[in-house]
Amino acid sequence: MSKELIRLTDCVMAFDDEVVLDKINLSIRDKEFLTLLGPSGCGKTTTLRIIGGFQTPTSGDVLFDGVRINAVPPHKRTINTVFQKYALFPHLNVYENIAFGLRIPKADAKGNKVKLPEEEIDRRVMEMLEIVNLKGFEKRRTTQLSGGQQQRVAIARALVNRPKVLLLDEPLGALDLKLRKDMQNELKRIQKAMEITFVYVTHDQEEALAMSDTVVVMDAGRIQQIGSPEDIYNEPKNAFVADFIGESNIIDGVMRADGVVEIFNRRFQCLDGGFDKDEPVDVVIRPEDVDIVSEDQGQLRGTVTSVTFKGMQYDIIVDFYGFKWLIQTTDLSPVGSRIGIKIDPDGIHVMKKSEYSGLFGDYSSYSEEYEEISDASYDPEGEDSGDEE
Amino acid sequence: MKRQNRVGSRLVIGLMFLFLYAPILLLIIFSFNAGDSSAVWKGFSLQWYGKLFQNRLIMESVYTTLLVSLLATAIATVAGTFAAIGLYSLGRKRREALLTVNNIPMMNADIVTGVSLCLFFVAFFQGWGTFARWFNSVQSAVELPDRLVLGFTTLLLAHIAFDIPYVILNVAPKLRQMDRNLMDAAQDLGCTWMQAFWKVMLPEIKPGIVSGALIAFTMSIDDFIISYFTAGSASSTLAMAIYGMTKKRVTPEVNAVSTILFLSVLLLLVLSNIKEVRAEARERLGAARKPSALDRARMKLAEPRFKWLRRGTAAVLACAFIASVSFLSYATSSRPVVNVCSWGEYIDEDLITQFEEATGIRVNYQTAESNEALYSLLKSGGADYDVVVPSDYMIGRLIAEDMLEPLDYSQIPNFSLIDDRFKNLSYDPDNRYTVPYTWGTLGIIYNTAMVDGEITSWSALYDDKYAGNVLLINNSRDAIGEALLYLGYSVNTTDEAQIREAYELVADANRRGVFQGRVMDEVFQKMEGGNAAIATYYAGDYLSMVDNQAEGVDLAFVIPEEGSNWFVDAMCMLKDAPHQEEAHKWINFIASTEANLANMDYIWYASPNREALEKYPAYYEELYGEELDPEVYEIMAAPPETLERCEAYLNLPAATLNLYNALWTQLGTS
Repeated sequence: MSKELIRLTDCVMAFDDEVVLDKINLSIRDKEFLTLLGPSGCGKTTTLRIIGGFQTPTSGDVLFDGVRINAVPPHKRTINTVFQKYALFPHLNVYENIAFGLRIPKADAKGNKVKLPEEEIDRRVMEMLEIVNLKGFEKRRTTQLSGGQQQRVAIARALVNRPKVLLLDEPLGALDLKLRKDMQNELKRIQKAMEITFVYVTHDQEEALAMSDTVVVMDAGRIQQIGSPEDIYNEPKNAFVADFIGESNIIDGVMRADGVVEIFNRRFQCLDGGFDKDEPVDVVIRPEDVDIVSEDQGQLRGTVTSVTFKGMQYDIIVDFYGFKWLIQTTDLSPVGSRIGIKIDPDGIHVMKKSEYSGLFGDYSSYSEEYEEISDASYDPEGEDSGDEE
Repeated sequence: MKRQNRVGSRLVIGLMFLFLYAPILLLIIFSFNAGDSSAVWKGFSLQWYGKLFQNRLIMESVYTTLLVSLLATAIATVAGTFAAIGLYSLGRKRREALLTVNNIPMMNADIVTGVSLCLFFVAFFQGWGTFARWFNSVQSAVELPDRLVLGFTTLLLAHIAFDIPYVILNVAPKLRQMDRNLMDAAQDLGCTWMQAFWKVMLPEIKPGIVSGALIAFTMSIDDFIISYFTAGSASSTLAMAIYGMTKKRVTPEVNAVSTILFLSVLLLLVLSNIKEVRAEARERLGAARKPSALDRARMKLAEPRFKWLRRGTAAVLACAFIASVSFLSYATSSRPVVNVCSWGEYIDEDLITQFEEATGIRVNYQTAESNEALYSLLKSGGADYDVVVPSDYMIGRLIAEDMLEPLDYSQIPNFSLIDDRFKNLSYDPDNRYTVPYTWGTLGIIYNTAMVDGEITSWSALYDDKYAGNVLLINNSRDAIGEALLYLGYSVNTTDEAQIREAYELVADANRRGVFQGRVMDEVFQKMEGGNAAIATYYAGDYLSMVDNQAEGVDLAFVIPEEGSNWFVDAMCMLKDAPHQEEAHKWINFIASTEANLANMDYIWYASPNREALEKYPAYYEELYGEELDPEVYEIMAAPPETLERCEAYLNLPAATLNLYNALWTQLGTS
């Protein structure tokens, strides 16, 4: 475990009385890949901008290497940013975009402004071009590059300054799916090679799980859960996280005893404990953790109402006592057939009731458009001060 | 059918462009006219361009115009750009609201802007005066000026004020187009905000700044109304100088200066368009295009090792600009000065130079366009002239309203040269306030080729024989005065019945279509070109018309048997004039025989100086090597027996003036 590099303590951000961040506490370790994940408007970009110095929190502290940096302007932080839509300088070519930060005179140890010699600038720019696979593009205008190329220029422009931390604000949002997958690997490779901290903002949970060392799930200005991708997926803290990360059936249950939870008046073995006796809880069951058995062997019995072929598996919707579950299976059960299910104790995750209880986890309205609809609500501009054109 | 339509639409477009550009073309052509008429072509010549650079009034106003426009543009561009940037850091609602507020001054009528700025400045000066007097009374270390007046500073402030919205309007869209993250990105890469502004924002919004500055500059150059109300007495822009000339006539030098102005603006526009087209082409072709020699030179210059060269050039330019500005302020502040307000084309400008060289006093020579305009300017309190040259009736009014300072005639020895006929006149019976400048008569000018025989009576003005060929003078006092004379009444009558009778005479002729129109300055073109048969105007102007009459036109001048109006324009000093000593010197200088001879020769109005009046024929002969036609001399300086028939205007009581105004308005609508 490497040492802590950045710490946010009780950070609050409010615009005109509208609280965008509500007492955020976050620790970022050196050289880790940390992702801020959440739907639009959750406060993840604001958190990033506070770390970058573009916004000063209304209250709370930002510490960098143990030093409070609330009031330190962006140009004095050893942090660089890759912006949404890249923000490349249109009047400069690729080379000059990357060299931009190097050409600004920096204060040395004695406080004198020093300029880097041209040879040094040239060497470092060419090195970066090599790293991001853009050799030979030096003289191109940035407007003549493809999205992926622009993306890589933006990364090179930030990394050439050798920051301790690189902030990335939805950097892959504008790329098509194939390119996005390539760039995910590329980013991971660069982070490993440069050995610096990446703080990455995205609304795409798959991206977050695939790339991160640590995932911070945010919603409504609050951190919902911090953990490794496995923790987040396997042990969601509340219904929001369970729903946002992957697919989940979230059912009302009652904790009858440690290791015993009751749903639909049937008791199930589980691994969770530490609840009060008879405490109402949310129970998360991942679609792939459900085994389909014949009707008479099942712990629960229901009717298949819809089947969707997904290539690797079928997504089937099953009606149990009026509550619709999503189950992923490799065996086809035709619509209208009666089935039984079995769930292993480690497939059942019990969570305390929260403000999100009852909001998610019901698949009665599930359709193929479901994911597209949730994607369409993504609005890259919606996160700033709410003030954009 | 379709083809016909196309021909039709081309015709319409052609006509439209003809309508737009024909006047400008005409102006350019006539700037090369050898004669000084704006209607009759007398051959090609560059003389007006030559004269233009010797015309002190125009050159000074061009200088003022350029200085004001450049300074106002520079300041407004910087202020407007930062204001626009400030607007963009605000929330959307506030920004939209403020942008709307920004647009209002542009929509606002110039006259409202001008008047309100004038009021604002005058109110501020009054408040300042009170404060300064109090401040000076409580301490003696610093002496604050307590008498501020409209001048170059207020003119500049007004121009900055109306230029800023245009800059904001042009910069705002560029800011809207700009990716907001660009500034963040630059700061993220180590720039301070200011560095980021220079390195990133400025290149992005430069086209908007440039077009904003261009528009502000043309608006400044173009402006007349706002300048008119805020410039006060000390400075006038080109537009104001041209307007000031309209009391007499617009000289062809104005055509020349307008041509130069038009061509420079055109050049500016063409240059900026070429730049834009090239930038677009570069964008399209990208790196594929080989850089031109110019681009290569520019790229070379942009290299760091040439930094000293770029900075040096910028420094030299800045120094030159500051030097010229400080020269102006030096020229205006350190030397004694006298502020004179007269009429356009009403002085031989060599006299100004002679006076300045002889005395070291700088003459700030401004012009007004009519007695009434001068009066309202003085009343508004915005002007601080020392010497004005109003006409007789207006002098009476100024004396009655205690707006003039009595003169110290011991400082004006040349007053003794003024002929006794022009002393102690009705407007200044004890001659305490005035020294006459010129005098002249109003008469009938007619084209002998267009009328039968000689005209001797005002009746010709109302004669159906000349229907459609008579020009009525567009001035109630003169037009009704002529009718009063024809009817045998006094031009100064206050008898309402007589005035109404005279008005009816004019109105009846108007209804019968005798008059071609009501004119002031157009009278020159009309009469010189033979487009009208009869007009009434001043004797001196008749002489300049004769000089320019076209082929087949033969103009004659007559003072009708019923008598006419004769007028005196006299120099007087305004109450509390700040430069009284200099004013006396100026008045004495202009009253001298030499100055009167020069002026008489230049403006062709008669001199009140006894010696000058006697010597003029000899002076003329010496100057031009030919004898002065006695008939011309008689028209210029009417002999005593003719003058006997004439009557000067007196200041009429308010009730009578109102009657004149009411009747004159009625004529316009009948």
